[in-house]
Amino acid sequence: MKWYERITKIDRRIIYLLLTSLVILPFFVKVTIPQNIMPQTKRLFDFIESIPPNDKAVMISFDYTPQTQPECHPMAKALLRHCFSRGIPVIGLSYDPQAPGLALDAITSIAQEFDSLAAINDDSFDYGVDYVYLGWKSGRIAAQLDMGEEIVGVYPRDYFGNVIDSFPLMNKVRNYKNVAIVVIISSADYPLDWIRYPQTRYGVNVGAGLTAVMAPKYYPFLQTGQMSGMMSGMKGAAEYEKLVFDHGYARTLGTAETGMNSQSMIHILIMIFIILGNVGYFFSRRGKKGKTGDIRE
Amino acid sequence: MSSDPWIWIGAFLTLMIFSFLYKDNPFYKFGEHLFVGVANGYYIVFYWQNSLRPNLFEPLGAGEFIYVVPLLLGLMYFTRFIPKISWLVRIPIGFMIGWGAGLSIPAYFQAEVLRQLEGTVVAPTSFSNPTSGVWSLFILIGVICTLIYFFFSKEHKGVLGHTSRLGIIFIMIGFGASFGYTVMARVSLLIGRVQFLLGPWLGLID
Repeated sequence: MKWYERITKIDRRIIYLLLTSLVILPFFVKVTIPQNIMPQTKRLFDFIESIPPNDKAVMISFDYTPQTQPECHPMAKALLRHCFSRGIPVIGLSYDPQAPGLALDAITSIAQEFDSLAAINDDSFDYGVDYVYLGWKSGRIAAQLDMGEEIVGVYPRDYFGNVIDSFPLMNKVRNYKNVAIVVIISSADYPLDWIRYPQTRYGVNVGAGLTAVMAPKYYPFLQTGQMSGMMSGMKGAAEYEKLVFDHGYARTLGTAETGMNSQSMIHILIMIFIILGNVGYFFSRRGKKGKTGDIRE
Repeated sequence: MSSDPWIWIGAFLTLMIFSFLYKDNPFYKFGEHLFVGVANGYYIVFYWQNSLRPNLFEPLGAGEFIYVVPLLLGLMYFTRFIPKISWLVRIPIGFMIGWGAGLSIPAYFQAEVLRQLEGTVVAPTSFSNPTSGVWSLFILIGVICTLIYFFFSKEHKGVLGHTSRLGIIFIMIGFGASFGYTVMARVSLLIGRVQFLLGPWLGLID
C-alpha cells in the first residue's frame, strides 16, 4: 500500500483514540488557547447589561435536554449569574419535557451561590421576589401568545404548585410589557416560535443560547434585528462566561471555558485529518491517472 | 472517586455506549435498549402528570363537561386501528391542520419572509457604517446568486451560468459553516461526557 493510500485508510479506532486523548489532555496539562468574543454574544451581554436593576424582568425559557447539557447548561448558569449580579429579576419556564430538572438545577444552584455570599438578610435571594420558575406547559404557542395579555392567566400556579399571584415579583411582571427580553436556551427549534409569534405580535426582544448545530439557521434573524443576541454552542457559553468573569460578576470561569481548550485541540486534529484525506485523495487520483491516462468516474 | 451509586451507574452506562466505537457488542445494546425504555417511561409519566391529568381529567372530574370535546377529538385518532370507522381520524386531523395553518401562515410570512426581505434590501442607511454597508451588499449578491442557482426555467449559460456558479460558492460556504458548527456540537457532547467521567466519577478534575 502506497503512503497516500495509507493516509486515506486510517483505522477509525485510531482516530477515536487520538480524539479522546486530545479531549482529556487539556484537563491535566495547562493549555491556554485564546478565545475571541463573537459579536452576537457581546450583543446579548450588552443587552442584559443595559437593563436597569429591579426594573423589567428577564424571562429565560430553559428548553434543552440532558444530552446537550455541556453546551446549554453553562449558558444558563452564566446568564443567571449575570442577571442576579445586576439585580435583574428572572422568570424561568420550559416547553421541552426534558428541561424542568435541568432548569431547576441551574436556578437553585446559582441562587444558593448568591445566597451564600449575602452578608445581611436583605442581600439574600428569595424565591418569588428575585426569581420564579413557572415550570412546563403544553401548547406552547398558545401559551406564548397569551402571556402577552397576562402571564397569570397562562400560569396560575408555578412549578411547585404555588399560586403565582401571591409572589411580589409576579405582581410587578404582568405581561411582556414588564419583560425586557426573553432568552431561550434551547437544543431544538423553540426560539423560532418566539420569533414567529410573541416577537411579531408584541415586539418582545428575543435572545437565544443555542447548540452549535442550530446556530447557522439563526444568523439571519440576528441580521434583521429579530434577535437581540445569541450564544452559539460551547464557544458561545465560554464567551459569555468570560464576559461575566471579566466584568467581575463571577469569581471563576465555568465549565464551558475549560471545555473550549479541548474543543480547540480537536478542531486542529480534525483539520489535520481533512488535509491528510484530501492529500491522499489527490495523490490517488494522480496515481490512477498515471496508470490509465484518464480518470473515468 | 464518587461514592454516589447513581454516578457509578451513569459512568458505566456512558462507557457501555462508548464501547460501540470499538465495535457493536452486548454492552452497547443493553445501554441503548435501557435508554429507549427509560425515555419512553419518562415521557408517558411526564405527559400524564403534567398534561393529561391537570388539563383534561381533573376538569372533567370537577364537572366541566366542555372538556368532553377535546377528549373525543383525541380518542378519534385511535379510530385508525378500527378499519370500519377509521375515516373519523380526518376530523381531528382537519381540526389540527386548520388551527395550525391559521395560526402559522400569517406569522411565518411576517417573521420569515417579509422581515428577511427587509433585511436583504440595501438602503442608503445600510452605508451609515462602511463595514456594514459592504456586508449588506455581500448579502444581497449572495441571495440573488443563490436564487438564480435554483432558477431552472432557462439553461445556465452566459451571465446566468456565471451567477449561478457564484451561487454555488455561497451555498458551499453555508454548508461549510453548518458542518463546522456540527463538528463543534458533537465534540461538545464528548467533552461533556469526559468532564463527567473525570470529575464527578473519578474525582480527577474539579
